Amino acid sequence: MNKRKSSVFDGIFGDNIVLSSLMVISPVIICGDTLKNAVALIYAFSTITFLAVTVSSFVPSKIPYTIKVIIYALISSLIYVPVKWATQEFFPNAIERIGIYFPLLAVNSLIIFRSEAELYKLPKGTMIMKLVFYILGFDSVMLATGFIRELFAYGTINGKIADINTLISGLSQPFGGFIFLGLFCGLYRWICSAAMSRKDEIRSDADVSGK
Amino acid sequence: MIKKIRTERLIWLDIMITLLTLELMSYFYYGLRAIALGAVCIAVSLITEIICLRLMNRPFTADDLSCTSDALIITLMMPAVMDYRIAAIACVFAVTAAKNVFGGRKNMIFSPAAAAYVFVLTSWGKKLLLYPQPHVKTGIFDDPDGLVSSASYTYNTTGKMDYTDFELLMGNFSGPAGAVSILLLFVAAAMLILRRDISAGAFIGTISGTALLVCLMPVSSGGSVIYTFASNMVIFAAVYIISDRRIAPKREYYAFFYGLLIAVCSYIVTLTTGMENAVVIISVLFTPVALGLKNLEKRIDLAREESEQQLTAINKENDFLGEMDIIDFGASETVKSDMIGAENIADKKIFVAEMEDGEHE
Amino acid sequence: MFLVNDFIALLAANLILTQALGTSTLFIAAGSRKNLIGTAFVITVFTFFGSVSAYFTDRLLPEKYSDIKLLIYIISIGILYVILLSALYFISRSKFENSRKYIHLSAFNCAVMGTLLTVSGRAAGDSSLKSYITVGLEAGIGFIIAALILTAAYRMLNSSKVPASFRGFPAMLIYLGIISMAVYSLI
Repeated sequence: MNKRKSSVFDGIFGDNIVLSSLMVISPVIICGDTLKNAVALIYAFSTITFLAVTVSSFVPSKIPYTIKVIIYALISSLIYVPVKWATQEFFPNAIERIGIYFPLLAVNSLIIFRSEAELYKLPKGTMIMKLVFYILGFDSVMLATGFIRELFAYGTINGKIADINTLISGLSQPFGGFIFLGLFCGLYRWICSAAMSRKDEIRSDADVSGK
Repeated sequence: MIKKIRTERLIWLDIMITLLTLELMSYFYYGLRAIALGAVCIAVSLITEIICLRLMNRPFTADDLSCTSDALIITLMMPAVMDYRIAAIACVFAVTAAKNVFGGRKNMIFSPAAAAYVFVLTSWGKKLLLYPQPHVKTGIFDDPDGLVSSASYTYNTTGKMDYTDFELLMGNFSGPAGAVSILLLFVAAAMLILRRDISAGAFIGTISGTALLVCLMPVSSGGSVIYTFASNMVIFAAVYIISDRRIAPKREYYAFFYGLLIAVCSYIVTLTTGMENAVVIISVLFTPVALGLKNLEKRIDLAREESEQQLTAINKENDFLGEMDIIDFGASETVKSDMIGAENIADKKIFVAEMEDGEHE
Repeated sequence: MFLVNDFIALLAANLILTQALGTSTLFIAAGSRKNLIGTAFVITVFTFFGSVSAYFTDRLLPEKYSDIKLLIYIISIGILYVILLSALYFISRSKFENSRKYIHLSAFNCAVMGTLLTVSGRAAGDSSLKSYITVGLEAGIGFIIAALILTAAYRMLNSSKVPASFRGFPAMLIYLGIISMAVYSLI
């Protein structure tokens, strides 16, 4: 039970799709420079990915891989249309801000490759739980990236001025996104490995005390 | 190994001596503010380096002091009145993102100073490219005023430089704190080349490439060569960035072409866009070229080693076969001589016997 | 002189360095020279033919149906995907077995779809077939250049000297970021 739980929750910490697998990184690098962009992307990614992967899970597994991949892409591009309409309704300026990265979310690696390689092999309930945590993993990275980059590049938090003396405007640019994500990724790995070694230490201590 | 460590430290020491001379020159032009900026950069770099090494579980050794020379290079590329915070951020960037993330001094990919300069240029371009006039001294904590564009900017946009040759040689014109004293820079280059601290090939390649292009496509009609060398940090970058032994290809021949390529590209960029200090940006952009050339060198070395090994093996085999041949040859000769001898003896015996028989008869 | 300026213009238009499109695919492709050449070639084929199909889609699709543009792009890439795989299958089985991974990797990724969406976005300025094809080819060549840039440092970025937390992808991201920063400062 514990094992299953940990594997499901991995989507946020242990196996984050952005920081571990470097999937869906283009929107994070380019659009993750403000919280507003981040929220718009989170909404678009979460909705499109959740619906597309869930609907695509009903595609028979016996179909050849190539055809399945095309079907998944078609399903997500169909889901993209109502999501775009809804976005125009709820986030009127988001589509303009995100630009081409909004439709690009419809062909993200989680929908096209990861789902086929991993998610569809799981029972439906587990698959949905895991998918939700993968999405939450992306959302948390996107939020953190948007928050930090906005704070240090523009000196604002969600558009409100914060007291930052020296602004690093380069952080809002694509190269800033690359470097920030690289550092973030390294930091994430360092924390993960530290947590793992700590767990191992605790486990070995427990073993010793058990003996 | 000990020799290599000593060399590394001596290189750092030599480079530091030349950089400190330039820093002294900037003190002469801009006062204590220039020294204070250098001190801030060195302190921040050193602290960041120690923290990074500690996080990587590596000890801090004298070789790691190379971060201080990088810090001084950054200082000298900036205006003497640069905001301390920006300079500090640049140093942190140089030590962490451009150096230690890739494994530190043992696995250098970029010149930390060049990467930090480009970083500052992209984030605080306006502050970086406005300079105080020489002999206008700003207090350590004062806000600078009366900042002007550099002489390089004027030269790139108008093709004119209203300075005497002596002023140009001494760096008595607005520009980066320590990158304009071309006489000192040439002396430093000569010293560092003679002591093999920088890549002579890369330096000569950069200088000859720039000189060649100035002759082919001059920016202005008169004094173009001196103006080109005096402006846009060409000499400074040629000495401390392009010829950096940690980055440039090891063989002088490759390093020459590496320097030449950077010089040609940066000159053309400056000529066509009027961009200031393009040589530093191009040197960062051409890092993959340096890495590619280094990979090529490694392959050539490997191929040479392999061929040498093969040659040695072949020689050994030949020697062995030669010995075998000699042994064979000797053996056959003995046999032959033995046979000839035997034949002769037999013949003689037969002859003697025949004679004896005849005499008897 | 023009070569240098063209090269810088090509770098400035590079979809990976300036828009981060296809970065993940690049990281996979740069792993080996064979992978790099295969993926870069297939991506260039996809971006080239995809741009041609995008041209016709943009011309023939009425403005009010622009929301289904993505769907049509995906159909055209899907058709190209099947055609390429089938052609390879019928040409040579052994080649099919060796090369299909490049086609699978290249079909639906940000490099290809991003090119189609970018070229479509730029159509307001110049909507000729030539401009579509140029952008398509530029994207392919840009991918090759970015892959070469990464390949030059690949060994150093994966070396044991790099701290374990940064070895591989994080170091690659920072490396590309610094190169992208130099390109940005030239523009």
